[in-house]
Amino acid sequence: MTTLVVARLSALEVSRRRAALLLVITLPFWFYLVRRDLSGQSTRALTLGIGWAVSTLTLFVVNASRGVDPRLRLTGASVTGIIAGRLLAMTGVGLLLALGYWTMVAVDQNLPHLWAAGVMMLVSALVAAPVGSLIGAILPRELDGALALLSISSVQMLADPTGLIAKLMPFWSAREVGNYAVDGGSIDLVWRGLAHAGVTWLICVLGTLAIFHWRLRLVRYPEP
Amino acid sequence: MSDWPTAFESELLRLGLQPARARRLADETTQQAAESAAPPADVFGPAHLYARHLVAELNTPTANFPRTRYQAGPVMLSLTGVTKRYRRQTVFEGVNLTVRGGEVAAIVGANGCGKSTLLRICAGLTRPSGGAVRRTRRVGFVPQDGGTAGWLTAEEHFTLFGSAAGMVPGRARSTGAHLATRLAWRPARQQRAQQMSGGTRQKLNLVLGELHAPDLLLLDEPYQGFDQGTYVDFWQQVLAWRDAGRAVVVVTHLLHDLQNVDHVLDLGATA
Repeated sequence: MTTLVVARLSALEVSRRRAALLLVITLPFWFYLVRRDLSGQSTRALTLGIGWAVSTLTLFVVNASRGVDPRLRLTGASVTGIIAGRLLAMTGVGLLLALGYWTMVAVDQNLPHLWAAGVMMLVSALVAAPVGSLIGAILPRELDGALALLSISSVQMLADPTGLIAKLMPFWSAREVGNYAVDGGSIDLVWRGLAHAGVTWLICVLGTLAIFHWRLRLVRYPEP
Repeated sequence: MSDWPTAFESELLRLGLQPARARRLADETTQQAAESAAPPADVFGPAHLYARHLVAELNTPTANFPRTRYQAGPVMLSLTGVTKRYRRQTVFEGVNLTVRGGEVAAIVGANGCGKSTLLRICAGLTRPSGGAVRRTRRVGFVPQDGGTAGWLTAEEHFTLFGSAAGMVPGRARSTGAHLATRLAWRPARQQRAQQMSGGTRQKLNLVLGELHAPDLLLLDEPYQGFDQGTYVDFWQQVLAWRDAGRAVVVVTHLLHDLQNVDHVLDLGATA
């Protein structure tokens, strides 16, 4: 039950950060708008923007809970329950955002594989929540974390997609699926992208859990 | 809720009241609720908490009679030779303290002598470098600052902490609201923690520490920002907890607090 309560309250918390929410949600739109004339570039930039937006919102939520988490643990909550609740909420927010922008692209662009564009955005949103969570676990201050996520997104955007550096970045999966969605070609692109997304998701979730298990560990004392 | 009087009576019996007296109190309480034309749960809050409150109140001294003290109960916290070091710096060493149910202990000392660190060790949030700690399982911890989520309201905090303790949301909210009234506080529905004054936020902190009815309460200077009236209410509450058989450990730097406590642990000067 803790997971669902944490998920609901995390979503509520995000919805109340009106200014940050508005700025973060509209950022992918500006990415899209500046190269709207080029379907491929605008859609890829939009997708990366979705990844940055969701990961940054997750970072904010993780950092805002630092004071509460140890007390929740003492009261009886499990680390897995707390982290799962937060990831559930932020994944939900990400999926909604991806769905909204996919609808916009469907109306505004003529892509060879529109469904794959949807997969590209969903993958970006799904991976972004644990990425933001992991960065939040490693970097305790919002500014540090936001800059780290900005660096990751920038490197992902600028690096050669076929090179090793791009593949080591968390949002390479979305780029790979995007190649199929925008340029066509082999369906293997989608499968490779999904596999990369799966591995990235797993690494980030396990990394987040490991760090929080260590940080929120309680000393077990014998009863008197 | 139809089983409220039964639950109330059971809790009174569990707290040691004679069956006849428990029955009479349950009948009187039900009658009072009927006169208000409202269910007892709406008037008095959760049955188990109201029972504890009533038992504590029954033992609160009036102006003419001294407060009745219970005999100290089982040991809730025991520190033996506890030491804390950060690298080469020793914060404190050889700390001994035993607190039983029905007792209040104060931890005093200069700024930086490790009072908060010792309380975190008692809670299990920080590992001691040496010594032995024994502690009851159910513990409530109230930190000096922080400990709340700025974007959530008091009710949402009650729901969150209640769920961590395995309480259903409705019960957590009603319990939290009831506990808040004892600190002369009625949480505003829409007010978020970040919009509360420092004193009100500390009241929220206190309620969250007590929400799951712990046997041992660890309070780190919890009255910061309290006005005079709330400060008095706070100490009345500490004594009520004590008289209900709970153990309380308070970090304080106010010497006049010490008249209310059973043990004083002086950590001395700055480490």
